[in-house]
Amino acid sequence: MTAGTPLLALTGIHKQFGGVHALRAAHLTLRGAGETGVVHALMGENGSGKSTMLSILSGLIRPDTGTVSFGGTAATLAGPVDALRHGVAMVSQETAVVERLSVAENVLLGRRLAGSPMRISWRGTRTRARSVLDRLNLDYDPDWIVADLRPDQRQMVEIARALSMDAKILVLDEPTSHFTDDEVESLFAVIRSLRERGISTIFVSHRLKEIFAIADEVTVLRDGQTVATGPITDFTPETLVDAMVGETTGLRGKPAGRARPAGQPGRPLLSVHGLHTASGLRDIDMTVDRGEIVGLAGLVGAGCSDLLRAVFGLEDVTAGEISLGGEPLRPGDTRGAIRRGIGFVPADRRSEGAIGSMSVNDNLMLVHTMGRPRLSHPPRAAESRMVAQVMRQVRIRAASAAVPVGSLSGGNQQKVVLGKWLVSDPALLLLDEPTRGVDVAGKSEIHQLLRLAAQRGVGLLVSSSENDELLELCDRIAVMFRGRIVTSCTAQEADEAMLARYAGGHT
Amino acid sequence: MITGSGSTQASHEAPPAAAGRRTGGAAAAWAATAPFRPVLILVVALLIALTIWLPHTFPTGTNLQNLLTAVAVLWIISMGMTFALLSGGVDLSVSANGALSGYFMAEILGEGVPAGVAIVLAVLFGAGVGLLCNGFLIGKLKLSFFVVTLASMTALTGVVNLWSHTLSIFVTSNVVGYMAVGHFLGIAVPIWIMAAVFVVAYYTQRWTYFGRDIYAVGGSLTAARLSGIRTTRTIIAVYGVTGGTAAFAGVILVGSIGSASPTVDGTLPLLAVAAVLLGGTALTGGSGSVVGTALGVLFIGVLQNGLSIGGVSGFWQDVVTGIILVAAVLGSGRTRRPLLRALSRPQAGSAPPATPPAGTEPRTETAMRMGKEER
Repeated sequence: MTAGTPLLALTGIHKQFGGVHALRAAHLTLRGAGETGVVHALMGENGSGKSTMLSILSGLIRPDTGTVSFGGTAATLAGPVDALRHGVAMVSQETAVVERLSVAENVLLGRRLAGSPMRISWRGTRTRARSVLDRLNLDYDPDWIVADLRPDQRQMVEIARALSMDAKILVLDEPTSHFTDDEVESLFAVIRSLRERGISTIFVSHRLKEIFAIADEVTVLRDGQTVATGPITDFTPETLVDAMVGETTGLRGKPAGRARPAGQPGRPLLSVHGLHTASGLRDIDMTVDRGEIVGLAGLVGAGCSDLLRAVFGLEDVTAGEISLGGEPLRPGDTRGAIRRGIGFVPADRRSEGAIGSMSVNDNLMLVHTMGRPRLSHPPRAAESRMVAQVMRQVRIRAASAAVPVGSLSGGNQQKVVLGKWLVSDPALLLLDEPTRGVDVAGKSEIHQLLRLAAQRGVGLLVSSSENDELLELCDRIAVMFRGRIVTSCTAQEADEAMLARYAGGHT
Repeated sequence: MITGSGSTQASHEAPPAAAGRRTGGAAAAWAATAPFRPVLILVVALLIALTIWLPHTFPTGTNLQNLLTAVAVLWIISMGMTFALLSGGVDLSVSANGALSGYFMAEILGEGVPAGVAIVLAVLFGAGVGLLCNGFLIGKLKLSFFVVTLASMTALTGVVNLWSHTLSIFVTSNVVGYMAVGHFLGIAVPIWIMAAVFVVAYYTQRWTYFGRDIYAVGGSLTAARLSGIRTTRTIIAVYGVTGGTAAFAGVILVGSIGSASPTVDGTLPLLAVAAVLLGGTALTGGSGSVVGTALGVLFIGVLQNGLSIGGVSGFWQDVVTGIILVAAVLGSGRTRRPLLRALSRPQAGSAPPATPPAGTEPRTETAMRMGKEER
């Protein structure tokens, strides 16, 4: 291959999903340099079109317009099999391994294991798997069961599978989000050794440190467009973040801010001191005052959700103390936490927040009536009065209070979950991704409800993967990285670029 | 004013209900039958058909009483089973537990315990066995309900046979006999009992926090727990209820045959599950009602009775019940859409490939399939 022709080029890619432009004239080029492969970082905020781009590259979806070419020749990718034929192998975000099977079986998954049509030759299978693992310098036993492996080792098994199919370009979608430092290093060692052997990697990560440690070239997407691309040496962490969040955020990132009763004296409402958990939180110190909205920013796996869950008594606390109004909370006691006035709006609304098969009425009454004797009967008239009031207050739009919550839109479901806690006058609300999957109108309504709650003196701790949401909503923002709070500041001091930088582990 | 898509969706789903509420009580009552409408229609149709087919033998007072008395045991067990399914489980050990509790009652009657006390103790005994053997393991230790109740069914069958040395004990108590074969105000006592059990079950389901907890636990265990519901306690209690109803059914059975037999009817739990499912309760938990279950049991009872007095082999009843069961589950709302899609697929295949509707996420399979067609 001549040095001038790119290994891979996606040009002029458009993709629309029902009126929404996921990609508009996006492009991505793997330049390559002679015999060795390249490591190409693809960056962009949530919703910038990264996943769509990768899906197009791996043949899962087809672009409305635009071309994909390999070594200068245009190709049509009609499915993952086509993509593989051109040497592109996707290693998915949720590691797609069969846990109960061995390493060898997983490496050769989807193809015939060695042997005659009538019988599997386990020895042949093992040998074939062994040779692929050797190419990766991995000393794994092919007979190991995948369920016993660490996350990074599972990822390796997937990479081995891709290699065994003669992949020339590996696509890794946020491979490191749940890895420890050592695991990231071992993955990078493999990526580097593959590069030596002419195998390229397209790599999605939000962690700036990692990008600068491994990538040769980078492409940045924003709102479906390629806004920057080139060798990594052309970029600094600052210019990369600016490209991701856009020039205008300097203005957009600083809204007027909420008028909050200033100077609340006395003890904080929630205080977390020296908290360590089994799930990986390290040395967390933080407070939330009455009437204050505190945001938690951080990438997937940084520990924002874990911190919320720990306060609600859902995590295994190994050290430290959490107290509400000066009184310590018993770790692991969720009912106790609720009784003390803590409410929790989980990220997964469908399986953890609302009970879809139950009516709006019964969902809204769940928490309020948890202390009643179970064989007594609910006062229906009083309940429907209370429910009607809450439905007005949080503006739930439903035909009646008797319809199942599952039939409502995402925004209305989330308002039911919120309403469930507001009924019983909480002291502190913990919210994990409060507006995920909610349309724009519903989002601003929910924000307004949260501000109203804060004005009434409720403390709010909000985790969100959307930094602009935190900047708009919160008084103070703490940024988490790998289970620690790395910085904390007021929303006025913060901007999107700064949050992205800290969340990416760059200080 | 922006209208949320939720409200439009909801009103789309139930336009007849909304219209009915305005016109009056009958329409509202009809709307309330939606979850178990298939089985309601079936029962009514079957009653009409049998009345036309056998006008002299079927619709008589005596026959209808016989019909109901014949399903008394199934009825009582199915009421408890409804709670198990609503909570997202199943109790397979009910007939073993019933036989054991019936035998227990016969033993303490033999020791001279008064009949009334013995019956109450037997029911408590069955509830206790359900709490300890099933509830604790499923609720507290989070074991699979299927494994646990299958194991307790097997073990309890062994226990009752060991304890009784496979011998029946005659029960001469008048009280126990009266419960199974007596009459009160001209109506067979088992029918009164069935009505009472139904009322208690309906009250529990509809008018207590416990009932609401069961729906919550079956609808989403995690969401219920995160809302402060004592999910473990709720599940344990549910298996206490199935044990108690099993024991009560066991008592009636002892009364009707006049002796406590260690024989365990292995098909009874599955027949009860069938009745509950016929009544529109979801196997996945969280939705359904004892009203539907009552109709499900009635359907089985009417079919059994009609076919037997019409001189048709009883095994036809099994065949028909099986077919209707699948049909009823197919007819329920959740599966109707995929069913229609499956039925309409051949047509779509012959037509030029349809463009996916706007506003939907791309379907991987669709994209792949369309790609293959072009190649």
